[in-house]
Amino acid sequence: MAEDKSEILQGTLDLMVLQTLDAMGPLHGYGIARRIEQISEDVLQLNQGTIYAALLRLQQRRWISSSWGTSDNNRKAKFYSLTKAGRRQLATEAENWQRVAGVIGRLLRLSER
Amino acid sequence: MLTRLSVLASRISGAFNGRALDQDFDREVESHLAMMADDYRRRGMSEEEARRTARLRFGGPTQTREDQHDRRGLPLVETALQDVRYALRTLRRNPGFTFVVILTLAVGIGAVTSMFTVVRAVLLRPLPYTQPDRLIEISETNPLKGWTHTVAAPANVADWRARNTVFTDIAGYIGVDNRGASQMQRFLSVNGEPQPVNGIATTGNLFDVLGVRPLLGRTFTWSETFDGNDRVLVLSYGAWQSVFGGDPGIVGRAVVLSGRSMTVVGVMPRDFFFPNRSAQFWASMGVKPDVFVRMRRPHWLTTVARLRPGVSLVQARDQMTAIATELERAYPDTNTKMGVRLEPLHDIMAADARPTILMLFGAVAVLFLIVCANVASLQLGRGASRMREIAVRRALGAGRTRLVRQLLTEALLLSCLGAALGIALAAATPAILLRAAPSALPLFATPRIDFPVLLFAAALAIVAPVVFGLAPALSTSSVDRLAERAESGSRRTTVARDLLVVFEVGLSVVLVVGSVLLIRSLIHLQQVDPGFAPDRVVTFKVTLPRVKYPKDTDQVRVFADLERRLRNLPGVEAVGATSTLALRGYTWTGDASVEGRAADDYERELRHESVTPDYFAAMGTRLIAGRMLNEHDDARSNVTVVNEALARKYFPGKDAVGRRIKFGRPQDSDPWITIVGVVADAKQDGMDKPARPEVYVPFAANAQNPATFVVRSDVDATPMVAAARQAVRAIDRDLLLTEVTTLDGLVRDSMGDERFRTTLLSGFAGVALFLAVLGIYGVLAYFVSQRSRELGIRVALGARPRALFAMVVGQGMRPVAIGSAAGLAGAIALTGLMESLLFGVTPLDPITYASSIGVLAASALGACALPALRAARVDPLIAIREE
Repeated sequence: MAEDKSEILQGTLDLMVLQTLDAMGPLHGYGIARRIEQISEDVLQLNQGTIYAALLRLQQRRWISSSWGTSDNNRKAKFYSLTKAGRRQLATEAENWQRVAGVIGRLLRLSER
Repeated sequence: MLTRLSVLASRISGAFNGRALDQDFDREVESHLAMMADDYRRRGMSEEEARRTARLRFGGPTQTREDQHDRRGLPLVETALQDVRYALRTLRRNPGFTFVVILTLAVGIGAVTSMFTVVRAVLLRPLPYTQPDRLIEISETNPLKGWTHTVAAPANVADWRARNTVFTDIAGYIGVDNRGASQMQRFLSVNGEPQPVNGIATTGNLFDVLGVRPLLGRTFTWSETFDGNDRVLVLSYGAWQSVFGGDPGIVGRAVVLSGRSMTVVGVMPRDFFFPNRSAQFWASMGVKPDVFVRMRRPHWLTTVARLRPGVSLVQARDQMTAIATELERAYPDTNTKMGVRLEPLHDIMAADARPTILMLFGAVAVLFLIVCANVASLQLGRGASRMREIAVRRALGAGRTRLVRQLLTEALLLSCLGAALGIALAAATPAILLRAAPSALPLFATPRIDFPVLLFAAALAIVAPVVFGLAPALSTSSVDRLAERAESGSRRTTVARDLLVVFEVGLSVVLVVGSVLLIRSLIHLQQVDPGFAPDRVVTFKVTLPRVKYPKDTDQVRVFADLERRLRNLPGVEAVGATSTLALRGYTWTGDASVEGRAADDYERELRHESVTPDYFAAMGTRLIAGRMLNEHDDARSNVTVVNEALARKYFPGKDAVGRRIKFGRPQDSDPWITIVGVVADAKQDGMDKPARPEVYVPFAANAQNPATFVVRSDVDATPMVAAARQAVRAIDRDLLLTEVTTLDGLVRDSMGDERFRTTLLSGFAGVALFLAVLGIYGVLAYFVSQRSRELGIRVALGARPRALFAMVVGQGMRPVAIGSAAGLAGAIALTGLMESLLFGVTPLDPITYASSIGVLAASALGACALPALRAARVDPLIAIREE
């Protein structure tokens, strides 16, 4: 059960991370987590640590890359940025997502009637 | 796909950079928490609260870290690597233990691997021919003559070829002795300097039957089997290299082979041999075509045939038996009761060696089990002293599977190191074998470490730790609480180790009994009277080239001249010559009739030897009755000397001297020959084989070329041979001495196989015994060290040292007694298998069993004595204070 839930979350989280990096440019883990929470208007309350599983997964797939830098508040932090492959992947994933979301939305509307 | 590859690549690199990446991630988490805490502080939280909330929102940094670690690398490989690292560290901390275990395993794995290289060379590696498993040797059988597999008569072979439909073809060859060694020694002249070479003479289709193409030139054609087309020669790769220096223009070159000029038509590939590596050339038989039409006697052709595709050996046997029956009907004169026997070529070539090799391989497998038991015992002993460590690790949360895996990794590491050393030992085998026992292996076999051998050794290295490591690992890892460690744990270990001692002792007894049986066989064999006096006698063969000495009378004259010259050499006591020397594996046999018997009652398989009068003196043959031959006995005198076996068989209970026999069947027109003397039986085929009826006819009456000279002297062999060589050269400087040896050497070589297997099996048994003793000692020493407190109390309470000594010895000997009993039962069951290897002892020889048990008991007592002494000398004060 728990496994299934995280599976769904996994793909979603990956997409959110990619999208965040695309929109905001290079960002550290905390920044990404905070941004996702803000956008979701705190609907999505995640353990911020879980973001790192997604970051590692995306790195291993070479969709994002990372390097150490300095944050606005002058703290050392690791910054993640989208690679070319990541940008391509985001495009595909987003399209997929929209298609699936569209289908599900229609389905829900249908059953409402 | 690409994505998956990049994940794998990153995981592999992650596995190797684990520590650095962990640190990197720690810093990242730290910065994450710090930044979050900054935000919370900015919203007005206290320092303390900001930090706590940050940690809470992050959710278990440690868990995240471990999760991250696992996702980053290859967790399975990583724990394995960790196990290996840990094992290496543990082993390095106990160098003594590690050294003993690795050495023991190296001996075990090395010994099995060595024997496997031999098994592979002799029994498993395919012969270098096309589809070698389709090659069959056809031999003839005849119950009347006691033949179980004899070379064929050429006309019979010709009929087989014409009538069968089961073989693509049948080829024949001559010139090998009963070990398959080439007996056709010739001299190949290159630039006038003759070089001795061995070869065989074949029918023209031999290479086609074998299905082997030459490296250079061509092979023979069928018409080249016959006289007139026979001046053709095929060389082995070795002869081409050594005699002709690898001359690329060798094909078509004219050479001189023992006085005849021949043309080299082909060179065979480097890996090729037939029938074994002693053959350096293949010549045509050069017989008259008539031979293949008429000659159904004598038998001298060895055959090799190739089964037609789809034909089974059974079908071939059926048809060939039918053909033999047809021939028997058509030629009752020669073929009565003449049957055929078909066996795969490889089986025939390996037949003599197979029982010895399988026996030794079995022995070495037993040795391997003993090695594993020994190492298991050592592991258990060490496991007992590791109880505390294991218990602590369990208490800290190590799972049992994890611990077993850890301990097995350690065992695997040990066995891999042992195997590496063992393979190095095994790699030395071929050289040692060839030096120590050149005649022990069939001539076609060349043991070497190849890929299957390495695979075999690797399999052993993997199997061994399961055998010796699993039980100790399970027993050791089952320790649950610290409290359990000392008493019950050690008792369980002692029981397990006692069982291993029983096992080791039992297997050792089997090996010791086997080796004592062989040792006693060899002793019996060495005590056999060869029928001649072998000390201080050198022998050598001289071949007179027919081109130079065409007539029999020339040959007799030259040999007589040579005999005279040899006799005049300083120190020489007697000189004789013979056509066929004993123990050389080469004889002429024929039918014989005894005067006065019925026309259909005649003897088969009479052996002929032509000898000069002084031959008996030179050999040291004893006269039993009548007289020896003398210089007046020639072709016209029609006299012969016979051996005791003949006198017994042909004239049971009567005096043979003065009676007449004829070398042929009653209806043949051979002259009657008078027996003038009976001499003691000389061994002909081996020290373990009874002498067959044999006649010694005057050399002058039946001259033979080549002749083997026998020189008895009081001079050492080396100067004697040198002097003899000069004497030969003085007659004709082109003549060479071949097959130079001493009679002692000949007798010794005839027992080469026996000595080889006895030495090896005794060696294995010795190692087994040593390991068993080590096992007994180890268990008992451990027992004493564990009980030193108890022993001390006993001493304090007045126990006498002698009683303690007896108690410890009793403790140690109990498993030995049980093991010996089991071993004896095993030996009784197994030694029956080696009956064919024994001589003069039965597999159940009581002396053997008694002495084996004696040896084992003495060794075991020796092993018990040291710990028992230590027990008897325990100082109560020290012992009690120890805990």
